[in-house]
Amino acid sequence: MASAVSSLEKYLEEYDEIKSTLPGQGLDWLVQLRQQGLDQFSTQGFPTTRDEDWRYTNVTPFIKKSFQSVLAKPSTTVLPEQMDHYYVPDCWQVVIVDGHFSNTLSKLDGLPEEVVVMALSDALIKCPDKVKSYLGQAVENEDHGFIHYNTAWFSEGLFVWIPQQVKMKQPLQLVHVVTQENVATATRNLIVAEAGAEGVVIESYFGSQAQAYLTSSISEVFVAENAHLTLYKLQNEASKALHCSGVYSQQEKHSTFNYLDFSFGGLIARNELHVNVGFAAACDLNGLFVGSGRQHFDNHTWINHLQPRGSSRELFKGILDGRARGVFQGCVKVFEDAQKIDSEMHNHNLLLSDNAEIDTKPQLVIYADDVKCAHGVTVGQLDDASVFYLQSRAVSEEEAKNMLTFAFANEMVDQIKVSSFKSYILALLLQKFPQGGIEQEWL
Amino acid sequence: MTSSTKEIEQLIGKEYDKGFVTNLEADTFLPGLNEEVIAALSAKKNEPPFMLEWRLKAYRHWLTMTPPEWAFVNFKPIDYQQISYYSAPKQSEKLKSLDEVDPELLDTYKKLGIPLEEQERLSGVAVDAVFDSVSVATTFKGKLKEVGVIFCPISEAIQEYPELVKQYLGSVVPQEDNFYAALNSAVFTDGSFVYIPKGVRCPMELSTYFRINAANTGQFERTLIIADESSHVSYLEGCTAPMRDENQLHAAVVELVILDNAQIKYSTVQNWYPGDKDGKGGIYNFVTKRADCRGVNSKVSWTQVETGSAITWKYPSCVLTGDNSVGEFYSVALTNNYQQADTGTKMIHVGKNTRSTIISKGISAGKAQNSYRGLVKVLKSAENARNYTQCDSLLVGDQCGAHTFPYIEVKQPSANVEHEATTSKISEDQLFFCQQRGLSPEDAVSLIVNGFCKEVFKELPMEFAVEAQALLGISLEGSVG
Amino acid sequence: MLSIKDLQVKIGDKSILKGISLDIKPGEVHAIMGPNGSGKSTLSHVLAGKEGYTITGGSIEIEGQDLEEMAPEIRAREGLFLAFQYPVEIPGVSNIYLLKAALNAVRKHQGLTEVDALDFLALVKEKIKLLGMDEKFLYRSVNQGFSGGEKKRNEILQMAVMEPKMCIMDETDSGLDIDALQIVAAGVNSLRSEKRSFLMITHYQRLLDYIVPDVVHVLADGRIVKTGGPELALELEQKGYGWIGQVE
Repeated sequence: MASAVSSLEKYLEEYDEIKSTLPGQGLDWLVQLRQQGLDQFSTQGFPTTRDEDWRYTNVTPFIKKSFQSVLAKPSTTVLPEQMDHYYVPDCWQVVIVDGHFSNTLSKLDGLPEEVVVMALSDALIKCPDKVKSYLGQAVENEDHGFIHYNTAWFSEGLFVWIPQQVKMKQPLQLVHVVTQENVATATRNLIVAEAGAEGVVIESYFGSQAQAYLTSSISEVFVAENAHLTLYKLQNEASKALHCSGVYSQQEKHSTFNYLDFSFGGLIARNELHVNVGFAAACDLNGLFVGSGRQHFDNHTWINHLQPRGSSRELFKGILDGRARGVFQGCVKVFEDAQKIDSEMHNHNLLLSDNAEIDTKPQLVIYADDVKCAHGVTVGQLDDASVFYLQSRAVSEEEAKNMLTFAFANEMVDQIKVSSFKSYILALLLQKFPQGGIEQEWL
Repeated sequence: MTSSTKEIEQLIGKEYDKGFVTNLEADTFLPGLNEEVIAALSAKKNEPPFMLEWRLKAYRHWLTMTPPEWAFVNFKPIDYQQISYYSAPKQSEKLKSLDEVDPELLDTYKKLGIPLEEQERLSGVAVDAVFDSVSVATTFKGKLKEVGVIFCPISEAIQEYPELVKQYLGSVVPQEDNFYAALNSAVFTDGSFVYIPKGVRCPMELSTYFRINAANTGQFERTLIIADESSHVSYLEGCTAPMRDENQLHAAVVELVILDNAQIKYSTVQNWYPGDKDGKGGIYNFVTKRADCRGVNSKVSWTQVETGSAITWKYPSCVLTGDNSVGEFYSVALTNNYQQADTGTKMIHVGKNTRSTIISKGISAGKAQNSYRGLVKVLKSAENARNYTQCDSLLVGDQCGAHTFPYIEVKQPSANVEHEATTSKISEDQLFFCQQRGLSPEDAVSLIVNGFCKEVFKELPMEFAVEAQALLGISLEGSVG
Repeated sequence: MLSIKDLQVKIGDKSILKGISLDIKPGEVHAIMGPNGSGKSTLSHVLAGKEGYTITGGSIEIEGQDLEEMAPEIRAREGLFLAFQYPVEIPGVSNIYLLKAALNAVRKHQGLTEVDALDFLALVKEKIKLLGMDEKFLYRSVNQGFSGGEKKRNEILQMAVMEPKMCIMDETDSGLDIDALQIVAAGVNSLRSEKRSFLMITHYQRLLDYIVPDVVHVLADGRIVKTGGPELALELEQKGYGWIGQVE
């Protein structure tokens, strides 16, 4: 334990150095908020496997490394051509490199004037009151070390505000890139869809090759009455990165929130996904994790039905090869008097090697009687009837299994409604199946 | 719908009718627990020295432990010094036959619906009746002895078969396993011991009725069943307790050892006093039950119908060590008023081609909280392991809770694990359909609830199934589709 | 083409096929009719190489080659095609992808080069027209969300693309309305040739109104109890399977 304490102290010492460089210095409410975060972080530290919610994911060895805040390091310059492969075509882009917004790399031409898209640091200067009414609101009742750390440390983020009845014509992509070794970045995104608004946001996280670093990102999402928001997330961090992210969404009545996650990169990736579903609101949460080597993916989802007539659908799929380990923890909670809830949660997993492992924990906590809630989990092999069917069509057993494994993943890709992003993800997915000989053009 | 919800509540909320107290002179220790108490207890039972050592080891470890807090239940901490750890009906001599049993005691069993002499004559069920802490009568002993089956109070087994006890006691649930198991190991007073020799198919169903009678006595049974190679036994356990205001603690341990090609079927109907409508009184039922399928092709099947107790904390588990071994868990848990149940199972797949099935049905009514908690763990060694889990919850009324907490951990790629869970209330469509076909609302509910539990009831031996259905407060008249 | 001699098959300990012999010459269309439980589906599965059946006696040869030791995909590459009674749904694998994989596997086996993308597309589009299917079907997942009729047509499309020598059709008419049945039958008829043989397994006679067989066999309790021309099917339709028992 001594070492964990001392590593916590290192983080705290560092904070004193970088504190003055954090955005929003003159804003008392923010200074106060950060201080609260810091206080709680200093008593709690980062979560350990003794916390029930973290029993399958051990971040302690990584945290001990004491990643240094990017703010304490000189920034590097990234050339636009180095960014090309991170851009999803036909999207507006906001680019954050090593924890700093890059105006030159971002592409926001043609963005409707009424839509506010800017770096959080800019928003804190240009519209601090607007930021104040959202920042910290969606994580108010959440309590774990990474949230408090993020609140105290965040250096940048994405601020999106879609006004009433405005429908964004094309998706907005957040491109988050880390280029340096052993750094820690903390970003806070605020995504707001006002009443009747519609939009698609893609959060994408990248890193360079085999570097180790910590990405802490928290997104607070507010979907107002009758608004429809889609959030896609791609996590393709460098192979030794620790990625800890959280999406905390508040849904008002009759709104919809669609979330689709693709976890491909990083060494340890933890996704928190918490949704408060309002009256007659619907949420659809889906994800795919594909791991090999010693990768570890932990998806932790929590759906709160606080109001009646809400519905939720959730499907997470995992494919694990090598010594990879996957974790799915999903909880659907129906509060007292939240009647007529319709909820389904599914988690399906394929283990491809003897050393892969999956731990899954789907939970239902129900305090209302007039509900229809179900969950289903499978861990196992491919369907024998499908393998035989393909064999009877001249395909070899091995190829059939490859094809079905790919198809298992591809079903999630099929859910993407933005064609440019769909192709982008498909290309990444195909790289994960080199043996398949699967050609994109036929999919 | 509100009217029929009320009717359902009435149906399920039948008053506890087993709440009567038997007036017997009892030999009871003063409350309190320390090494002297354990020594005195061990001396009372005429135990050989190894048992006292075994108990003290458990006690010393227990002192270092804290009660588990992860279960979805709420209660005031228990003061273990306020509990009396020994209570026995006073009898001058050891009993030789049923005729010598105190008539009032026998009458108690009658009220419970298990008249011993009746059973001996009619039902062919051997009963080891545990009244508070001492086994008072064991029937059919002779007939069982003919085929080599040992069925006796564990206190007797400790004296008469010390080698068997030494070899197996604590081998499935070690003394330090958990807080309540450690406590049980230190202070258990009695329970059943069963040994089925090689190749023997036990000629009758063995049955123990537990009953907590005296006030403020904890009951700490210890049951040990060993099924030797190619043997087979079906064991029934029924539990009732009289109505009392103070909460009473029950912390039993059941250990099952199943060797090559052997089978144990263990059925429980638990209807201990659940407390009154306001949540006053009731039994705390903190039980550790575990089966170790050590042998190849061995099989264990747990079936439980849990309708009683204020708090239930119980996870009958299967460790599937032997290749091709099979574990099954069938459960109905009904909670009403302020009852809290946190129950489920653990299936640990160790051997190759091991299979497990979990069927859990939870019914929650009133202000009760009903949780399923289960673990399916497939170790790397368990090639081709299979598990199928289905847990369904039925909600009656809008103030209760039904919760599902499954844990699935798989380290073997050839494993196939399937888990399904649903939570819903009795369907209005089903109710309406039944009523339209001429059924009264009561019959309709009875039909639907029974249908809901049918998969579990069909696993129970016939006479138990009848009792179980009666316990749900719903008659099984007519055929259920 | 297909020669079955005294074939005996068990599932577990239970005998299902109790000595079946059949000889189908190139270009011939045979029909096997029989009541439920007579062993019809077992025969089709055993021919295609499905696991779970034990061949306890007899032999199956296709053009003189023993099938028994061949994996299902090798049989398919050798030109044996099974149109399934219940085609499986394969979410995430597009129809066109499966067709291409199947065709190229067959061509590779025959020592031919793989077809290039453009030629393949042209080929598939031509075949799909034959079956009156929309091109959109090509890009949908295999059988996923297809109606009964669409699934059966999809089977015939695969047959058309793979160009097998020996086609086994397992209850192809089940679940089809009359329009779908006519389309499927037309598709099959267009594939009839001097070099291609068919074995149609069916419960009812109505498919045989549209695809007229050369030979009709009646299967009962794991044995072929009667063989005749197309008229046998009509007789069966009139008199029912009970009649066969009396004939025996």
